[in-house]
Amino acid sequence: MEKLKLNETPVRTSRNYNINNITLENIKIPENIESFENVEIKGESSKIKIDSKVNNCDLVYGLLDTLTNQVKEHANQKLMVSIDSKTNQEVQIGFTFDNKNSQLIDHIQVESRENTKATVIIKYEAKEGVEAFHNGMIKIHAKKGSEINVILLNLMNLSSNHFMSIENELEEDANLKYTIIDFGGKNSISNYYANLKGNSCQNTLNTIYLGKENQVFDLNYIGELRGEKSNINIEVEGALRDTAKKHFKGTIDFKKGCKKASGNENENCMLLSDTAKSLALPMLLCSEEEVEGNHSSSAGKVGDKELFYIMSRGFEKKEAMKLMVRAKFNKIIENIKNEELKNKVIEEIDKRLD
Amino acid sequence: MAKTKLDEINRNIYDIKNKDEYDFKIKKGLTPEIIEEISKQKDDPQWMREFRLKALEVYNKLELPTWGPDLSELDMNEIATYVRPKTSLNSSWEDVPEDIKNTFDKLGIPEAEKESLAGVGAQYDSEVVYHSMKQELIKQGVIYTDMESALKKYPDLVKEHFMKCVPVYDHKFVALHGAVWSGGSFVYVPKGVKVDIPLQSYFRLNSPESGQFEHTLIIVDEGASLHFIEGCSAPKYNKVNLHAGCVELYVKDNAYLRYSTIENWSKNMLNLNTKKAIVGKNAKMDWVSGSFGSKISMLYPMSILNGEGAKTEYTGISFAGKGQNLDNGFKVVHNAKNTSSVVNAKSISKNGGKCTYRSLVRINENAASSKSSVSCESLMLDDISVSDTIPVNDIRTDEVEFSHEAKIGKISDKTIFYLMSRGLSEEDAKAMIVRGFAYPISKELPVEYAVEMNNLINLELEGAIG
Repeated sequence: MEKLKLNETPVRTSRNYNINNITLENIKIPENIESFENVEIKGESSKIKIDSKVNNCDLVYGLLDTLTNQVKEHANQKLMVSIDSKTNQEVQIGFTFDNKNSQLIDHIQVESRENTKATVIIKYEAKEGVEAFHNGMIKIHAKKGSEINVILLNLMNLSSNHFMSIENELEEDANLKYTIIDFGGKNSISNYYANLKGNSCQNTLNTIYLGKENQVFDLNYIGELRGEKSNINIEVEGALRDTAKKHFKGTIDFKKGCKKASGNENENCMLLSDTAKSLALPMLLCSEEEVEGNHSSSAGKVGDKELFYIMSRGFEKKEAMKLMVRAKFNKIIENIKNEELKNKVIEEIDKRLD
Repeated sequence: MAKTKLDEINRNIYDIKNKDEYDFKIKKGLTPEIIEEISKQKDDPQWMREFRLKALEVYNKLELPTWGPDLSELDMNEIATYVRPKTSLNSSWEDVPEDIKNTFDKLGIPEAEKESLAGVGAQYDSEVVYHSMKQELIKQGVIYTDMESALKKYPDLVKEHFMKCVPVYDHKFVALHGAVWSGGSFVYVPKGVKVDIPLQSYFRLNSPESGQFEHTLIIVDEGASLHFIEGCSAPKYNKVNLHAGCVELYVKDNAYLRYSTIENWSKNMLNLNTKKAIVGKNAKMDWVSGSFGSKISMLYPMSILNGEGAKTEYTGISFAGKGQNLDNGFKVVHNAKNTSSVVNAKSISKNGGKCTYRSLVRINENAASSKSSVSCESLMLDDISVSDTIPVNDIRTDEVEFSHEAKIGKISDKTIFYLMSRGLSEEDAKAMIVRGFAYPISKELPVEYAVEMNNLINLELEGAIG
């Protein structure tokens, strides 16, 4: 068992605030990695090809060198997704953890050609009772004018550890839309980094997280704006019940030269119990004059008035709460165009709020 | 379009250097012997001497912060921590030596005392050289004196509160302060007494390669109220000077304290000051803060809302120019039910200056029905400056209303266009926008300080429309 200190913020603040990184006790990073076979791929075509020829494991940030090196040296799933479709085609990659497939070290790389379009759905799901370990790396290179829509689902169970490092590079006029549904894991620790180097490139990141029991979420999102007129929008909606904890660290960094760039970051946390905890560090770093940066952050319980209104329509309190949470999440869930998947997410919300 | 040029603040008044004359200057460095010597020079009681030595031990154990501005240029072996000016404490300006009096005259302190203050304290290097207060307040039982006199006249009151609000192990520079503190003001406002006219202390550091470590201890007893103003400045030298003062404020139940600061240290100063208030039941603590000077500033006033219904408000502005790194902000801990905090922070960066807003809002488990609202805005006036916002929001219970918002940007072209369409020149339009940006802060300051702030901002807008 190890004590891990990981997911460091790009800029440190006082260590008394306990947010520069997260310390996890009693975590075992497996050394002898078993094979993982439960992978389902749907929608592969001549325009979206998937093979195992990944070629880039380097990360600017990442969660921790030990985890990055594990992916470099011991990945038991390597998937290179090459996009050449001009119309929005969809590809799905699903990993299901069970007793025989409980350790996944995956490296997914997505490369788009210029002016292509695609939707990539990546789903991690763990069956109840499995003590799974997941350490994943997703690297996306969105070339000039390409439009990539990524839906990432973390539906792990509450006895698993989920580590995720995500890095994106955006060229001129590229448009990357990321939707993250972050529900599972005893510990769900994720690092998202976007390098908006191309002029007029755009990155939208929408996340919903839902924590229960003693789940811990540590989200470290970093957007670096380099290209002129580049734009990033980060929207995070979450709900915490029982003794769940969430650390949200969001950084929008306007680098010198990103003239007329803009960045917005909005994080809202609904506290569904008086023992749930929300810690947030929404940072704006700015070395360029002609930019517009905004962030907002809020936390609190479900509004009494709204709850009363719904209950006056005949709903029980628990149902009314569920409706409120779903209503908050709805804007982000609507990004999922695949109906089956959308229903799956709604079902998971209901299940996790029961 | 040509760039709008903002000139550096005119510092002529603040940069007046007097000859480095003193009655006693401790040798540079930080050893137990030096601390013993300071204690001896100050004729400390035994407990204070022991306290200083203990604080030095803590200082030696603690590390420099691993975050914020780079403090590597600070070499305590090159700083004299105690400089006693060549005069003792006076209660009449006539008795203050001519050159020191002239300095304070030019800073407008005696004039302000006549016109708009109920009491004044003036510190020069390590000791307070002037202290006085209006008779009415003395009759009401208000105490306003220098810390050294307080230590001798009110030993129990001082011992009960001294560095209890800000313990020496809070951080390295508080420990340093505990070891070498000298000067500062002590205020006690008895129960129910409302001090309507402000008290003001002004801190002036003249001696080069030295530090100022004044201690301000204010107790506003139940139901009482006070407005305290603090000003600070120093002339510029080539080597680093250090300011590591400590402000401890006790705002008892139902009391009110407003603490206003205009900090205008010279550009060779490292300003590592610590300010904290403990706020009682239904009491209110307001901070108004203008930060203009210093090479490096790390200053985060803090309110601990310990009593039910306690409130605090922070209104602050930082203005960083060439070579300045101002890392300022506010901390609040909600530690009882129905507490509330409102933060309104602004910053302006220009000519390569760096402003950072760094903060903490913590709403503890026992602070149900508390509210906190934070707003920070940063204005970038050119593309060589830096502006960062690093706020931590730590919410530990559900029955709260918490919101935080921040904005970074330049002066909006649309607004300039609108004002120009109303007949203003581009320069006037920009000046108006910057003044408007700073107005919510300047309107909270006493008039003479608002004037000083406007002088400090001193927007000499040049540049042409093109």
